[in-house]
Amino acid sequence: MPKVSMTVNGQAVSADVEARTLLVDFIREQLRLTGTHVGCDTSQCGACVVHVDGRALKSCTTLAAQCEGASVTTIEGLAKGDDLHPMQEAFRENHGLQCGFCTPGMIMSAVDMVKRHGGKLDEQTIRHELEGNLCRCTGYHNIVKAIAAGSEAMTSSGRVAAE
Amino acid sequence: MAAYFRPTTLEEALAVRAAQPVTVLAGGTDVYPIRANKVGWGDMHRDDVLDISAIAELKEIEQTADRLRFGALTTWSQMRRADLPEAFAGYQAASRDVGGVQVQNRGTLVGNICTASPAGDGIPCLLSLDAEIELASARGRRTVPIQDFITGYRQTVCGHDELVTAILIPRPPAGAVGDFLKLGARRYLVISIAMVAAVIAADDTGVIHHASVAVGACSEVAKRLHDLEAALLGQPLASAPDLIEHAHFAALKPIGDLRASGHYRDSAARDLVRDLFVRLSAEPKRRAA
Ligand SMILES: Cc1cc2nc3c(=O)[nH]c(=O)nc-3n(C[C@H](O)[C@H](O)[C@H](O)COP(=O)(O)OP(=O)(O)OC[C@H]3O[C@@H](n4cnc5c(N)ncnc54)[C@H](O)[C@@H]3O)c2cc1C
Repeated sequence: MPKVSMTVNGQAVSADVEARTLLVDFIREQLRLTGTHVGCDTSQCGACVVHVDGRALKSCTTLAAQCEGASVTTIEGLAKGDDLHPMQEAFRENHGLQCGFCTPGMIMSAVDMVKRHGGKLDEQTIRHELEGNLCRCTGYHNIVKAIAAGSEAMTSSGRVAAE
Repeated sequence: MAAYFRPTTLEEALAVRAAQPVTVLAGGTDVYPIRANKVGWGDMHRDDVLDISAIAELKEIEQTADRLRFGALTTWSQMRRADLPEAFAGYQAASRDVGGVQVQNRGTLVGNICTASPAGDGIPCLLSLDAEIELASARGRRTVPIQDFITGYRQTVCGHDELVTAILIPRPPAGAVGDFLKLGARRYLVISIAMVAAVIAADDTGVIHHASVAVGACSEVAKRLHDLEAALLGQPLASAPDLIEHAHFAALKPIGDLRASGHYRDSAARDLVRDLFVRLSAEPKRRAA
């Protein structure tokens, strides 16, 4: 069994895992960080999006062993103690969720989006970029609003450059 | 229990490849979904896994005077952001619509052609760019034109001891502009019903001197439309949409499946080619954005 070592939400972790362990299973079962969800198991729905070395990816398409040495951020790594990340706050303010199942992946994709576009996000870009995240209850409108608001909040609080 | 190999050099990888049957793993965006039927991709109990994603020498895009070389680990995201000649605008447009950002960050251009799905969006793009595929094994290296690399439905000439190491594309002719259009049941995250890629170059007077047009998802393997290309040469670019004839599509053999009927695909392919020519003739410059 390969030994994998990586940094998850700023903490060094390492474990012996079966080679075929998916990153999402490693995060959920081994590390007990269950904010990252599994919705479809076919890399379509986006509930499992995390950041690996600063890039958004679907953690059900990646082996834990492929992330050897990488720095991983999950939804649990966004808030600072009791202070929600501006994007989390924006989802709460704008009611960008109903059942909440897709929300961790939505927020991880949203933060990645803002980082890549430097906070200049129009509605059309947000909708295009949400291609890889499915929500079955909100109809997306409030999610799009939340991301636009979160983008502004991240920019004005200087978090775009900081992360 | 199956073994897992994660070499950091091509040489080590080829030694593993030669020694035993392995599942080659690059971005994993095709390998995982096709095995996600909860038996998990349990094949790993049988086949060892050769993860090539840590081989740095396969990650480069190189541009020289006569050609461009895309290392086998070039991702869709790298493609969409790269600074490339105008002829690549179609391939770059395709890369923006493959599976969403998260899939583009992992999925590779080479994984797409090795999967060799009739609906693989990269394949018509590579046909339109006259790409060659570079393969390596412990025995040596060879290059194969893209039209010979894919031999049938999910079949390629890549041998059991070989790995694809790069996509090679000759520098396109002066003034060549590329474009790509895909039709799916909806706008996003969708498998193509039909797609078309073209690279066309016209001289200062607007006369076409280079044309390559390829259609995907309308035959087992995507096809160039050589008769259509011949009909375009020497003609004004502005007239391109009017030069399309039914007979130019004879090479295609569209089938009916759960996404569309053969008849629908047949007419969709013609409409897509016409729409693409209208775009190319309306705005021959600047389409990268
Ligand atoms: C949600 C989702 C949406 C998608 N949407 C699209 C789409 O719109 N259009 C489209 O065309 N595709 C789409 N795909 C399919 C997929 O993302 C692409 O085909 C991708 O480019 C595959 O690359 P990869 O690196 O992930 O390949 P992998 O999954 O790692 O490998 C694919 C195959 O290629 C072989 N292979 C990989 N690299 C090499 C090599 N160097 N040498 C020899 N063999 C090799 C592997 O053994 C395997 O058989 C989608 C996938 C998902 C999950």
